[in-house]
Amino acid sequence: MIKITNLKKSFGEKIITNGLNLEVGDGEFLAIIGRSGEGKSVLLKQLIGLLKPDSGTVLIDNQNIATLKGKKLQEVFHKCGYVFQFAALLDSLNVLENVGITALENGKSIDEVKPAVIEKLTSVGLAQDVLEKFPDELSGGMKKRVGLARTLMLNPKILIYDEPTTGLDPITVRLIHELIKKTHVEHKITTIVISHDIEIFKYATHVAMLNEGKIVYKGPAQSIWECDNPYIYQFIRGLPEGPIKQIGFE
Amino acid sequence: MMFVRTIDRIGLAVINGCSRLGDFGLFGWDAIVTLFTTRLKVKKVFFQMSYIGIGSVGIVFLVGVAIGAVLALQSYIGLERFGSTQFIGPIVFLSMTREFGPVFTALMVIGRAGSAMTAELGSMRISEQIDALQTLCIDPVQYLVVPRVLASTIIVPFLSIFCSFFGIVAGYVTAVYMLNINAETYMEAIRSHAEMSDITNGLIKAVIFGFLLSLIATYKGYITRGGAKGLGIATTQSVVFANVTIILADYVLTSLMFTK
Repeated sequence: MIKITNLKKSFGEKIITNGLNLEVGDGEFLAIIGRSGEGKSVLLKQLIGLLKPDSGTVLIDNQNIATLKGKKLQEVFHKCGYVFQFAALLDSLNVLENVGITALENGKSIDEVKPAVIEKLTSVGLAQDVLEKFPDELSGGMKKRVGLARTLMLNPKILIYDEPTTGLDPITVRLIHELIKKTHVEHKITTIVISHDIEIFKYATHVAMLNEGKIVYKGPAQSIWECDNPYIYQFIRGLPEGPIKQIGFE
Repeated sequence: MMFVRTIDRIGLAVINGCSRLGDFGLFGWDAIVTLFTTRLKVKKVFFQMSYIGIGSVGIVFLVGVAIGAVLALQSYIGLERFGSTQFIGPIVFLSMTREFGPVFTALMVIGRAGSAMTAELGSMRISEQIDALQTLCIDPVQYLVVPRVLASTIIVPFLSIFCSFFGIVAGYVTAVYMLNINAETYMEAIRSHAEMSDITNGLIKAVIFGFLLSLIATYKGYITRGGAKGLGIATTQSVVFANVTIILADYVLTSLMFTK
């Protein structure tokens, strides 16, 4: 269970989250939508402790991670996996070393780590022939799969995806969405996805919308097209008129 | 109004400066604590020592030779007026071991390896690789900063010895073969005027310079923000700050070590 209460964060004079409240239940698949530059990534980074909020609480299983440091914070990272927008693979390491990095850094040898790496790569639909490749030899979709495999190595209870389909073609987008859903179901992982892609509603169980630093809607994903919330109505139809401000077009 | 605004700006600059200095101090402290409280990544330290050391040998050699030769020539011009050319040897020796060896080695390492450290870590910060390390339960300071700082602290004194040695050799060659100074006189003057403390104090300086330059380089990379432009600014600042710090530290250390 994740419970965010009155979360505030600003960079200089720019307010990112402004008293944000959100609850995510165990086993939920939540899609967070919102305009570009609304601070969705900043919200997720506060959620796992990569960024400290100015005020407010982030409770994961009743533990406030906003105040954690060092080893205690590392325990949160074991619990919450984070798949970065552009995968954030270490470009000096090959796929095998990237996926197995945590075990390798804890003193295990390549031979010990290799079977687990192959298992995770297979589960994200990648063959063994990528093991020796470096990130710059992989396509965008492959990088994201490797990023997911690397995160799955920690067996997290919660998985957070930061715009996993940005910059991908429609076929790869669908494959990535199906992979996220498969991972969610098979591993019974609480899943939070930031996405601009309305296709995500087919896979998510819930949708939340971020606007001007607050969650203005949270509800089931299946009935999103029937939703009469003015923010949701405007956003998913891409309408210029409505409560969402047209940033840069005033 | 103009006066108030000026005071306001100065005050803001001072506060920002103090804040950055505090951040840098905490970063350095974190690196030292991490070094002594976590398992050392020995392979990474050796890799960095090789990168900084072997990669800088050529440029350090060239600089050492050039400085040694110039020192001999300049000393000759000055000392000849007083009929004291026999002191060229000690002047070259003391200048190289006390000052030019450690200082120029540090400046060369900043230009070659320090800038690369900032660029590499800055690029990793911008592409979220450092954040990724954290989410994978890997301490970025232990993984990225400690090996570089330790390697630089160890290897810069060796490079400094190398630089000083070839500077002294170049000074000898210049004095003996170009300026016709007696070889025995040159060596004897060094033997009678040089002390062991000249070498050890120069090495202490090199250790401190190696630590400072790598800490500045990794810090500037670690806090990089703002894409390609930010990376460019961070790398430039890293080189400038490290150079200025080395010169200032040299003054402080020289005052502490050599004044009697």
